[in-house]
Amino acid sequence: MNIFKKMKGTTQSPPRVGNSEIIWSWIGAFLGIALVGSFQSMIVDSIGRNLLIGSFGATAVLVYGAIRSPLAQPRNVLGGHVLSALVGVLSYQVAGDIIWLAAAMAVATAIALMHATKTLHPPGGATALIAVIGGDSIHHLGYFYALIPVGLGAVLLLAVALVVNNIAPQRRYPEFWF
Amino acid sequence: MLTDDDILDAMQAMHGYVDITPGTFKEIYSLSYDLALKRIRSLGKAEEIMTSPVRCLTRQMSIPEAASYMANYGISGAPVIDDEGVVIGVVSEKDFLRKMGLPGSAGIMSVVGECLTVNKCLVAGLRSLFVEDLMSTQPIVAEKETTQAELSRIFTEHKINRIPICNSDGLPLGIVTRSDLVNSICQMV
Repeated sequence: MNIFKKMKGTTQSPPRVGNSEIIWSWIGAFLGIALVGSFQSMIVDSIGRNLLIGSFGATAVLVYGAIRSPLAQPRNVLGGHVLSALVGVLSYQVAGDIIWLAAAMAVATAIALMHATKTLHPPGGATALIAVIGGDSIHHLGYFYALIPVGLGAVLLLAVALVVNNIAPQRRYPEFWF
Repeated sequence: MLTDDDILDAMQAMHGYVDITPGTFKEIYSLSYDLALKRIRSLGKAEEIMTSPVRCLTRQMSIPEAASYMANYGISGAPVIDDEGVVIGVVSEKDFLRKMGLPGSAGIMSVVGECLTVNKCLVAGLRSLFVEDLMSTQPIVAEKETTQAELSRIFTEHKINRIPICNSDGLPLGIVTRSDLVNSICQMV
């Protein structure tokens, strides 16, 4: 019975943010993803790398849309992405023949490692997963995947967050660094 | 008591997206409130903050003598002891005011005002009195093991400003004033 009672929920949804928040979130995400994307076409394309990976979309939600969240702080963004990338690559190397196993190991271990290092950053789960299911172009990178695209992309998103979130009058970022 | 609406309004006033539900906030609030209460309740004992030794008046002291004594030591109140050294009362500025026919809440300006308008020195009437005529009897005292939380309750309940700390025989060991307690809590915070 207790299980069903818990399933009903206990509280309500937080209030909707104001319109200026929505606009600043949009501006930040636009500039952040645009910067990573243009970096790719300007620089990384020349060395045949893909800089724009799916998990950056999720990071953008946090660093531009929920900037007070502990999950969105620099320690979490950088630590979460890089550690998860390493875990993802390792999982593929260890169990890459059985994709579902490598994928599950990558995501689960990434979460555990992020918890243990106080770097929990939800997009890290996607970063780890992409290391496994991202196809040959990702697999060829090996552990370098943690540096480019993951590390570099995270740094760029963070740089935009630092500027945009502190230009906005009612915002400040970060809450803490490390 | 904090309501859900208060929390929702506060979250809204913070502008940014707050990554927490009102329920979780309430849980954190109530847990930390309990912890703060526990910390305050576990504040030390009276002996840790009392001033010791305490300057006492004797019951036979004349009022001019007592007033000079208090002025010399910069104290606004003191326990009164009998011949055996047992605390039998407390004298404070309020007792002086009351004896001068002023309410206990009166301040120095009331005395000055009265003196100038009535053209008579209110204090003069006290000249021939003794401490025992002025003191509040049945003094509220505490022991050195009394907790600071309990002291704070006594201050509030009895609307007093100082509590003599006595041993089981009623002999004074020290005194705790409101400001001693406030300082102690400030240090904790």
